[in-house]
Amino acid sequence: MKDTHMQNPKISAKNVQVYYGDNHAIKDVNVEIADKTVTAFIGPSGCGKSTFLRCLNRMNDTIDICRVTGEIKIDDEDIYDAKVDPVQLRAKVGMVFQKPNPFPKSIYDNVAYGPKIHGLARNKAELDEIVEQSLRKAALWNEAKDRLDSPGTGLSGGQQQRLCIARAIATSPEVLLMDEPCSALDPIATAQVEELIDELRQSFSVVIVTHSMQQAARVSQKTAFFHLGNLVEYDDTDKIFTNPEDPRTESYISGRIG
Amino acid sequence: MTQKSLLTVDARTKKRNAAEKRFKAYGFAAISVAMLALVTLLTSVIGTGASAFKQTYATVTMQLPEDVLDKSGVRDIDVMKKVTTVGYTKILNQGLTDTVAALNIPHDLSNKDIGGMLSKEAAATIRDHVLANPELIGQEVTLDLLMNGRIDGYFKGRVTMESAALDSNTSPAELALAQALADAGVVNTKFNWAFLTNPDASDQRPEAAGLGVAILGSLYMMIIVLAISLPIGVAASIYLEEFAPKNRWTDLIEVNISNLAAVPSIVYGILGLAIFINFLEFKQSSPLVGGLVLSLMTLPRIIIPARAALKSVPPSIRDAALGVGASKMQSVFHHVLPLAAPGILTGVIIGLGQALGETAPLLLIGMVAFVREYPAAYTPDAGLFGEASTALPVQIYNWTQRADPGFVERASGAIITLLIFLLIMNAVAIFLRRKFERRW
Amino acid sequence: MLPLYVPLIATAFLAAFGFLIASRRALAVSGGDARKLAALPRQYGLNTTLSVIIPTSVVLIVGMIFSSLSGVLPFIVLGVAIFGFSYSIVRITPEFRARRYAEAWIKLVLIAASAVAILTTLGIVLSMLFETRHFFAQYDWKAFFFSTEWSPNFRGNSALGIIPLLWGTFYISLIALTFAVPIGLFAAIYLSEYATRRMRSIAKPAIEILAGIPTIVYGLFALITVGPFLRDHFAQPMGFGDSASSVMTAGIVMGVMLIPFVSSLSDDIINAVPQALRDGSLGLGATKSETIRQVVIPAALPGIVGAILLAASRAIGETMIVVLGAGAAARMSLNPFEAMTTVTVKIVSQLTGDTDFASPETLVAFALGLTLFVITLGLNVLALYIVRKYREQYE
Repeated sequence: MKDTHMQNPKISAKNVQVYYGDNHAIKDVNVEIADKTVTAFIGPSGCGKSTFLRCLNRMNDTIDICRVTGEIKIDDEDIYDAKVDPVQLRAKVGMVFQKPNPFPKSIYDNVAYGPKIHGLARNKAELDEIVEQSLRKAALWNEAKDRLDSPGTGLSGGQQQRLCIARAIATSPEVLLMDEPCSALDPIATAQVEELIDELRQSFSVVIVTHSMQQAARVSQKTAFFHLGNLVEYDDTDKIFTNPEDPRTESYISGRIG
Repeated sequence: MTQKSLLTVDARTKKRNAAEKRFKAYGFAAISVAMLALVTLLTSVIGTGASAFKQTYATVTMQLPEDVLDKSGVRDIDVMKKVTTVGYTKILNQGLTDTVAALNIPHDLSNKDIGGMLSKEAAATIRDHVLANPELIGQEVTLDLLMNGRIDGYFKGRVTMESAALDSNTSPAELALAQALADAGVVNTKFNWAFLTNPDASDQRPEAAGLGVAILGSLYMMIIVLAISLPIGVAASIYLEEFAPKNRWTDLIEVNISNLAAVPSIVYGILGLAIFINFLEFKQSSPLVGGLVLSLMTLPRIIIPARAALKSVPPSIRDAALGVGASKMQSVFHHVLPLAAPGILTGVIIGLGQALGETAPLLLIGMVAFVREYPAAYTPDAGLFGEASTALPVQIYNWTQRADPGFVERASGAIITLLIFLLIMNAVAIFLRRKFERRW
Repeated sequence: MLPLYVPLIATAFLAAFGFLIASRRALAVSGGDARKLAALPRQYGLNTTLSVIIPTSVVLIVGMIFSSLSGVLPFIVLGVAIFGFSYSIVRITPEFRARRYAEAWIKLVLIAASAVAILTTLGIVLSMLFETRHFFAQYDWKAFFFSTEWSPNFRGNSALGIIPLLWGTFYISLIALTFAVPIGLFAAIYLSEYATRRMRSIAKPAIEILAGIPTIVYGLFALITVGPFLRDHFAQPMGFGDSASSVMTAGIVMGVMLIPFVSSLSDDIINAVPQALRDGSLGLGATKSETIRQVVIPAALPGIVGAILLAASRAIGETMIVVLGAGAAARMSLNPFEAMTTVTVKIVSQLTGDTDFASPETLVAFALGLTLFVITLGLNVLALYIVRKYREQYE
């Protein structure tokens, strides 16, 4: 693995270990993630990529038996510092989940939820503006603008996921974490979301976990390969997929493992 | 967006965290209220009722003169029976007065007053004893006799010198004498098994009242409930869970069962009155009718957990049985039912526990009457479980309606008894569940 | 005349020995080789036993209900038993699929057991309708449903209006629910979202114990502790009244009784909300309480409404707590520290009194019971409907 340090990485992780009870799930991960870039985490199922992703917004805190050690810094601030409130962290680091999970509320209320609880809008007009901007950035505005009051659960699968993306970016995060966002979607919806990801990277640092190598190759600039809890290789996407250095990486992308 | 450091918690987040703490505190407060209510309830009931398990007795030595008790001179029982409790009362009064005199306790009460410190039940006790042992006539006999409710209340703290001064049933002088007798060892408060075995007693004798009839009546009814609702409930749940086709009729039955489980218990009492007593003319106040009414009430409460237990057996078990050529019915009875048995049994025990504590339906079928004889399980006259009886919860209700404050203690003591039975049943249910539960 | 026990003994005899005879005959008919039979010998035996027992049981039950048959019943029972025995024996051949027939009998028994549920409901409805009709023949139904006076008089000329009773019933239930719903709901929320394992292992059994306490115990608690306490520390000092039995007494005690009911229903409902929704909210930076208040509870709302309706139904139908805690005075007042009575209390008092059964003063209890049944049935059905729709949303 090339050991070059980035200039001003958005996220930098050092010696991160994650334990689920006695199970050592993430072993000694060191990685630097750049801003305004799409970084893909790939690897066979169970290798820990989702687990590591969830460390970046401290979602693992919600699981009792999970323990995280090491240092994870965002903008040079250790997010596991005792002074950090995860609630504030998660306004800065947004997350989109594998299966679309819109709230049983209207489309408008779904998107407005984040800004409302964080107090990002001073009045209704500002809130309307934020909702519209988010829906536009998620490429859902045209389909949703006439039915903002209808339930979010009434949309199709692909639309729901774009709604979840709009909801996540409504808090103006700086990092967007996406955990296999297309695995529950059909090919057409997948293509729409992938196109969206490419646009999103102009505003955010995007980290996407995917089990599809083709998807990683399509959307990301940097790729990290995880295997059995270790970060095996991390490099430019082209390099990983054409000329990987580690034999395990090579086995994975040629289909011999995973 | 302005760059905010994550290391400083901003004002809004602080407010939200405070709201979080308050919310959590409300939840904790709710739990505390519930637990406090439980503790208050239990201490109040146990505090009032624990004393029912002790009772004050006096050890009295009496002369049994032949000329009073056996006019025939040859121990003819029929002649001896003609001497009523009134005759024996004089003997009691004399016996206790003599004891007091022998101990040189100063007092200014009449014989009658002294004798009145004993329970009105005491005369019956000595009479029964003599009639059972006629050879005692002409001799001296020493018996432990029940003291009256007020004296008993004094030793339990219920009755004080102040209240005795205002009470027509006792007086401070009597209490003082009783205390002196206790100090001399003649009067004792000891553990009261009779509370569980005696039949009910009349209004003036709370000290003699016991749960014997009630416990027996409840026992009979539980036997009936078990015999009826267990087979029918299990059979119905097997049908509904394993065999019933998914059509409108089955849906109707299921809705019916859910509703019946939620129908107020008093409605079952009305059903029992209208159909079992009026239409079928079964005997009022009998454990048979009570048991039938409780069975109907318990049936849906067994069917619902039994179905859940059957449902929890994985389909793979059924498939495996069918795969070797068993019929549907064989797969159910040979494989599914045994595996669901612990869950079904737990449901049955809990259902029985709920039936044991039910009062309202039994009031309506007449079990509120005053019953002094132990009901027999079968008589040719009344049929199976046909003799009039009462039940534990009804007895409790009955005692709360009586004026004498001694019955409050009795009612609370009966509640303690009821709760102990329920505790045992639930403990058995939990034990079975733990021992036989399988996690699929 | 034939006493009943004769055919009963004959039936038992035929059932027991029929088993042996049938299984022997099955073997005999196959020439000693059981493999030639279409079923196991014991299944032939079972078929015969059931052919005797089940028809005779049916006849017995019918005969017990229609007592006019009592003279002829023993003969019918005997005849049916003999017929069942003979017919099943005659059919024993190697090709006879005895297992099927035996299982068909068993299935019939299972269906009959399930039908008991419908019979019970029918029995409840019919018995109350029947006597209510008698009541309305003697007392004007308009006066029953709309009069605001309740004063039964054994000499006749009673005023039997249900409205004061309904007032007491609903007032007490309202107080009970006001107490039980917030506490039960918050307790459920705390236990499922915040409590440590240790806290849960103490609190959950404690709440289950509250649930298992019979209502007579709550009634006594109201009578000897809560009632006097409220009177001495609230009603008298504040001048609201001096009765230990009151709406407040019964309402609070009933509230305590309902806490575990509401709590366990709410617990099921809250757990049915998918974790994905909570994750979505937490991922956006919401606190746990915000997630619960703004996502989980609104998602669970139909279920919670259903739970409240069921709790209301339970409160309305409750008897012992109000008998011992609320009093017998049929009064319509806004003062919760006064004694008021309910429908259930009057059902008990009118049916356990000394009045003649056919008089309106006694028969009114059936009309009251029917009204109670209809109200609670309505609430239960509504609650079931709402909760079912809610479950569909997540499945």
